[in-house]
Amino acid sequence: MVSLDASELTTRELNTRIKELATNGTEKITITNPAARHNIAVGILTECELEIDGSVGYYVATLLDGPRITINGNAGWALGENMMSGSISLSKSAGASVAASMRGGDMFVGGNAGARAGIGMKGGTLLIGGDSGFLTGFMMQKGRIIVVGDVGDAAGDSMYEGTIFCGGEIGSLGADSKIEESTEDELIEIWNLLEERGISERPHFKKIVSQKTLYHYDEQERHERPLI
Amino acid sequence: MVLGSNQIWSPWTVEDIHAKADLGRYRIRGMSTHQKVTHFDDLTFLSTGLTRFPLEGYKEQCNTSVSLGGLNAENPLELDTPIYITGMSWGALSANAKTALGKAASMAGTASCTGDGGMLPAEREASDKLIYQVLPSRYGLNPNHMATAQAIEIVVGQGAKPGTGGLLMGVKVQDDVAISRDLPVGVDQRSPARHPDWLGPDDLAIKIEQLREATNWKVPIHVKLGACRVSDDVKLAAKAGADAIVIDSMVAGTGASAEILLDHSGIPTVPAIVLAREALRQIGLYGKVSLIASGGIRSGADVAKALALGADACAIGVAALLALNCNRDIPEANFEEEIGLPAGQCNRCHTGKCPVGIATQDPSLMKRLDPDEGAERVANFLNSMTMELALLTRSLGKGDVKSLEPEDLAALTIEASAMAQIPLVGTNKVFGS
Repeated sequence: MVSLDASELTTRELNTRIKELATNGTEKITITNPAARHNIAVGILTECELEIDGSVGYYVATLLDGPRITINGNAGWALGENMMSGSISLSKSAGASVAASMRGGDMFVGGNAGARAGIGMKGGTLLIGGDSGFLTGFMMQKGRIIVVGDVGDAAGDSMYEGTIFCGGEIGSLGADSKIEESTEDELIEIWNLLEERGISERPHFKKIVSQKTLYHYDEQERHERPLI
Repeated sequence: MVLGSNQIWSPWTVEDIHAKADLGRYRIRGMSTHQKVTHFDDLTFLSTGLTRFPLEGYKEQCNTSVSLGGLNAENPLELDTPIYITGMSWGALSANAKTALGKAASMAGTASCTGDGGMLPAEREASDKLIYQVLPSRYGLNPNHMATAQAIEIVVGQGAKPGTGGLLMGVKVQDDVAISRDLPVGVDQRSPARHPDWLGPDDLAIKIEQLREATNWKVPIHVKLGACRVSDDVKLAAKAGADAIVIDSMVAGTGASAEILLDHSGIPTVPAIVLAREALRQIGLYGKVSLIASGGIRSGADVAKALALGADACAIGVAALLALNCNRDIPEANFEEEIGLPAGQCNRCHTGKCPVGIATQDPSLMKRLDPDEGAERVANFLNSMTMELALLTRSLGKGDVKSLEPEDLAALTIEASAMAQIPLVGTNKVFGS
């Protein structure tokens, strides 16, 4: 295990060291004193285990492919943006746009998440232990968002595919989204995930999916009709 | 007098109303605006005479190379010519077209750019210098691909349709294109207009730092803007840390857009360059942050004029596609039957039925474009433009395209004088100054 003190390194130095250690196969990397710094652990494309001990700023643990990251604290905007694979576990709350455009892997937010959680998600699972803000799952394409608590207004607005599960109240649905009944298999799978994360609640999750009414323009121009 | 001669109710207006009365929605098409706007043709060069002497037009050396985005990047984008191929998506274009463009760029010593659909591996292989776009949609965005790029371009807006996202009709969202974008097959894709993870310029500064960290501060970070509120946008992008700013004007092309946006938003290329130049000058970053102009660049003369007005380089889209055979009556195609318009008038890229195999995902149509032959044509065109640029530069007595400057130009119209801030020919007057 290698420990890096963020207070003694610039962000560039810190990320360079993390990438070097990850590439060299270091078993575990710990970062202390992050002091809400932005852009820590960006662009790591190898498997490794990383623990950040404290709260972090924007864009932490982003553009990743492989690492398993634990953060003991809160996070600013865009935690885990565009993660391809691996996992992120945040003990407290996340700001806006958590898991934005995430393409794979697993993300867990122990507390609440801000607006636009899972915006443009393209794969993977985002599990939020508390509530999430407005426009959760906005223009979501694939993947699964599980919110144990309440989901804010305009949930699932303009989503293409993917699923949002809400254990509490839904503020309102966004354009072209609808509520469906969760299947028993889906509920059992989610409850197992909650068990793994030490969450004792077992809500009967409501499922938000796309109505698919915005999939196509209704009419084609005359010259397009025989073509499309 | 007949209705067709009426200025307000022209035949085009009548047809447009009939079409929308059938359709019940806005119209969609490709190509670029039909508006008549001030363009480079409204400027002319003041070549040498007795006040200065020319260089031999066909012999003496003229440096056309440029270095872009060196403000913070360890490896700026070094190009043999100040003309590169702009971002056009794999999806809007066929894989053969993207591959040909990448190969042509390499042959001409310049760069190509990905687009709103992720990186096509064949384009990466073909293109020595690939600019990797980060768009609001993030379709196909892969940090492993990003790590191989020679520059990163954050797209804030597109000149053809500023303030909106991309548009790809379902006929093109097929097979690998749908998989790459993580979209349902056949969906009419309407890309987001806003980035998912940042909103304003303060956020953008952090986003730029993120991309620098992801690419280890090696490559330039460009910011592409649709030319609207140019002065403010350029200052904000530069202050946020962009190494290069791409200003994409209202005459720029697209594979699909609501027609109303093509014709009624943005400003032309000439004033966009001048406003961007002055904005950078006002904050002390002119000459430090690279300025790239795009929109309606058709020839070496257009490039020379853009550089004289203050751009460091130009990006071409439609012109490269025309070189690739867009709107050309090739033997394999029957434009009238297949697309409903004669070759030379087609703007139906959005239908996916491109008769020359460029703007299509139909395998039988794609076969009509041989990537190697296409690459040769585009490389020839890029080289022709570069020769024209060098010829004009020498005629002005200069041995480096970077020496082109506003005083090399005169304006042919009052409007061009005002927009370019160049004296009107035959006068010493700069209108609007």
